[in-house]
Amino acid sequence: MNMIHRISELQDFYVLSWRSLSGLMRGPFYLSDTIEQMDYTGAGSLPIILIVSVFVGMALSLQLETQLAFMGLENYTGRVVAMAVIREIGPVVVALVYAGRAGSGMSSELGSMVLGHQVDTLRVFGVDPVKKLVIPRMLSSVAMLPALTIIGDTASLLGGYYIAVYVSHLSGSTYWLSVRNVLSFGYVFPGIIKPFVFGYLIACISCHMGLATRGGALGLRSSTTRAFVVSTMTIIVFDFLITKVVIYLIGY
Amino acid sequence: MIIFDNISISRRDKPVLKGLSFSIDAGERSAILGGSGEGKTTILKLVMGLIRPDSGSIIIDGENITSMKEAQLREVRMKFSIVFQEGALFDSLTVGENVAFPLREYSGKSEKEIEQKVRELLRIVGMEDAIDLMPEELSGGMNRRAAIARSLAACQPKMFLYDEPTSALDPANAGAILRLITELSHDGRGFILVSHEVQHALRVADRFLLLKGGVLLFDGDKNAFLESPVADVHAFAYAAM
Repeated sequence: MNMIHRISELQDFYVLSWRSLSGLMRGPFYLSDTIEQMDYTGAGSLPIILIVSVFVGMALSLQLETQLAFMGLENYTGRVVAMAVIREIGPVVVALVYAGRAGSGMSSELGSMVLGHQVDTLRVFGVDPVKKLVIPRMLSSVAMLPALTIIGDTASLLGGYYIAVYVSHLSGSTYWLSVRNVLSFGYVFPGIIKPFVFGYLIACISCHMGLATRGGALGLRSSTTRAFVVSTMTIIVFDFLITKVVIYLIGY
Repeated sequence: MIIFDNISISRRDKPVLKGLSFSIDAGERSAILGGSGEGKTTILKLVMGLIRPDSGSIIIDGENITSMKEAQLREVRMKFSIVFQEGALFDSLTVGENVAFPLREYSGKSEKEIEQKVRELLRIVGMEDAIDLMPEELSGGMNRRAAIARSLAACQPKMFLYDEPTSALDPANAGAILRLITELSHDGRGFILVSHEVQHALRVADRFLLLKGGVLLFDGDKNAFLESPVADVHAFAYAAM
């Protein structure tokens, strides 16, 4: 792919991202499509996010308790696990899992619709594919990813609790008291902001890749893979950028 | 009604159509023939304004559609009824919901009126019993017939556009689709049938356009097509006979 194609594709992505935002102001609104997407991306992703998050919390707790015990600070295990999970690891891990499951699903579904002329059919019927296909996916991602992140964070803290209490033999009340110390607005704020941004980015990238699918089964494979790879890289980069901005604004 | 004036279009730097010019009247029963990848479907997409040419003009009913915006193209598209290859039914909707889709989007009809209209259209294509079936449960022929019913629901077309309507169908189903195509054109509404299956085109069309290498190799009636002295045209006309 030459440079002109890359610039053209980037331009198409920006146009799609802008239209998915500006389209929120004008009807028609496809509520049932949005609810259907919320079910697929939200409820459908819940089991896998629960499993991943519990084990992330357990691994963190195990790792941190061992290291903190060297310094006699094992009572801070809950605090450090909570801070790492809520501010950083939770939003990123949940977003990566979401991109892998829901994002790839969006991309392959839209790609398949492009190849099967269903997107052309929508245009023939005077239906804007951005409003019918992209906005419901964007809205569902922006709504469901924060919810999944909160649930994932909770699961991670419970996983951490299990290891702290039943493996490291710390007191449960000490763990939760330690966790509570970081549950202030300033500490939680980055973890609240990130899923909204990640959700929007995953949906826009996945939908763009899906709608740009060309060239049969190989093209579909390529667009689905690219949707996940680009989403993953974007999540990591934006995680750093948001963290930097929040630390600059709040100071910690 | 449709005028292609020196149309060129490329895909991934590879020319698909090279300076194509022709005109087709609304009542004509035309077949655009050619091998795979010769740009037949591209012509239908250009007529509907779904893609734009790199150069040249497409005039429909006196209006140049190449510079029109998406909202303006809506009126142009309402003049045609297009059936894409393999039907392009929406996978998540039943046959009835597929046919009702354009009616629900902008007809303003009540649900009762929509249901009546859907049943009427499915009766025309002989698929009233399949109203609750999902697209995955349909045979290839049923899929195309449902797509024809849906395209009729969208508008009162002046002309039909069929993209490979009989490809991958058994002779019985292909015959049923060809009969339906002929019946729908009885009231003077013409069609453009895009196909690589010459025998099927010969059964329904009066005018034949043959594409090769992005240019028009032949444009004429059935007799001229079958008796063409041009080797490539002759080879294509008799390839499957």
